[in-house]
Amino acid sequence: MRINTLKRFTLTLFNQDMEKKVELEICLGTLCFIMGGSAFEMISESLPEDLMGKVLVKGMNCPGYCNMPKYGRAPFVKVNGELIAEANIQKVIAKMREEVYHGANK
Amino acid sequence: MAQTNNATLVRREIITRLSKLYAEGRLEDIDRIPLEMAPRYGDSNSSRCCVHKTRAIIRYRIMALLGYNVADETDELESLYSYAVRSLSGADRGNGVLTVVDEACTSCVKSNYTVSNICRGCLAAHCMVTCPKDAITMVNGQAKINPDKCVNCGLCQKVCPYHAIIYVPIPCEESCPVKAIYRNEHGIEEIDYDKCIHCGKCMVACPFGAIMYRSQLIHVLHRILNDDKPVVAMLAPAVCGQFKANYKTVTKAVLEMGFSDVFEVAAGAVMTAKHEAEELAERLESGSQYMTTSCCPAWVEMAEKHLPQLKPSVSDTWSPMRYTAALAREKYPDATLVFIGPCVAKQAEAMKYEGVDFVMTFEELGSMMVALNVDLQNIEPEPENEVLHERVFAGSAGVMDSVGNYYHGPALKPLVINGLDKKNIASLRRIATGKHDYNMIEVMACEGGCLSGPGSISTPDVARKLFNTQAGVTIEQVAEV
Ligand code: FES
Repeated sequence: MRINTLKRFTLTLFNQDMEKKVELEICLGTLCFIMGGSAFEMISESLPEDLMGKVLVKGMNCPGYCNMPKYGRAPFVKVNGELIAEANIQKVIAKMREEVYHGANK
Repeated sequence: MAQTNNATLVRREIITRLSKLYAEGRLEDIDRIPLEMAPRYGDSNSSRCCVHKTRAIIRYRIMALLGYNVADETDELESLYSYAVRSLSGADRGNGVLTVVDEACTSCVKSNYTVSNICRGCLAAHCMVTCPKDAITMVNGQAKINPDKCVNCGLCQKVCPYHAIIYVPIPCEESCPVKAIYRNEHGIEEIDYDKCIHCGKCMVACPFGAIMYRSQLIHVLHRILNDDKPVVAMLAPAVCGQFKANYKTVTKAVLEMGFSDVFEVAAGAVMTAKHEAEELAERLESGSQYMTTSCCPAWVEMAEKHLPQLKPSVSDTWSPMRYTAALAREKYPDATLVFIGPCVAKQAEAMKYEGVDFVMTFEELGSMMVALNVDLQNIEPEPENEVLHERVFAGSAGVMDSVGNYYHGPALKPLVINGLDKKNIASLRRIATGKHDYNMIEVMACEGGCLSGPGSISTPDVARKLFNTQAGVTIEQVAEV
């Protein structure tokens, strides 16, 4: 009985923690990488203080946007599932801030 | 050092498009590339006056990528396809590795000094009085510099009591360590190949991407796709910092692109380190004061063209590229050997000596992968158990470190010249006077070493990080002394 409560307790904490994080997915395709995506290798070093600990960085396989001009130009990343074309670190930080202060991660 | 800015990306896009056309057997569509990249009603997000100018610039970029010196154009109506065919038939290549895309180079100031709005048009007019060339006049109550007369002496700036005259740098000229690039009478930059050491710094510095290296990519593609002779890739040690994949995994991708075999240039670096260590001991024992390294081709050119006093000190040991080529040639006597690295100057080195057939940059390798539909994300990562320590040749102080491992002789007093900038060139001039007690001097033209090379895919910090996590050996940043 005791153990059960404890389990539930840790579980909720864990979930809360997950909810706060902005999800950043970076395309791992070679095209995105050579067209400027390599800069995202430094994303954890470039995060401003207010975003630290609030971002979950993931890789994604080439979703094929690079072959469809209507999506814009490489490199592609997604912030909370929303596609960003011609992504660079500044652009992505701005978007993540928006999510943290006004969007889904408020 | 490589940067990923729009100018770089445009170059990569063209490389990719060109490779794709060739691979698909549609080279005759090459003249459509400028039209496709700059459509008439495309977005107006351009730094040029009109779509025609943008297209003209793309055309000249393609010429450089086909291996031409843009200045060699004699007939403006010659199609790119005809250029491509001529290039493939092996027309004479001529001088120089870097070339100025003159259509793209029109945007810098003609004279470095400009009068700003701060000018009060004062009565004293110190500037006007001081100017030794009578280049300054008063127009509508403000001083004005006539760029045709101005000789950039800077005296006017010094005497202006309002600090109204500003110095506007010209990035390529500013970055060139040997003053090999200058404005001609039309205000367009020109490269003096008698002075140029092919370091590629101007190419990286130009915000308009007006300086390009003359590529050999089309020849490599041609050999891969149409030739029965083996085509062997030799990957420079800096490759471990180019992609999100270790050396072995990149090798798999390179084979998938159609290369017949891959040689690691770090293997040649082992031979360089051993020979250089022996040579150093011999030289010091027979009375030489010091020796300098020979693996950075821009440095070797620098010594030859600008520091003749230091030329005898340059080691006679071959560079890792040349040793690796010898190893590859042994195994494949009739193969086409392609060196792939971050370096522009390697092309000049390869032309100087027998052995290496073509030189490509990592950015070309990456773009070519995309064009040939080889994607590293789909390649099963391959673990590496043993790696060559000499991969550290990719960073400043790496050569020194490796040579030190094999060296037996008088106590080593090492000095690392990390990057050929104006300050370090001054140090080299002092070294030439002999008033120091260093006996082994490593010189790298790029600050940080090859990982910062102009033909790299990413910026030096990213390259170093990737290298240090993937190479199995690490490179520290060289501290300023
Ligand atoms: S490589 Fe990134 S979308 Fe295809």
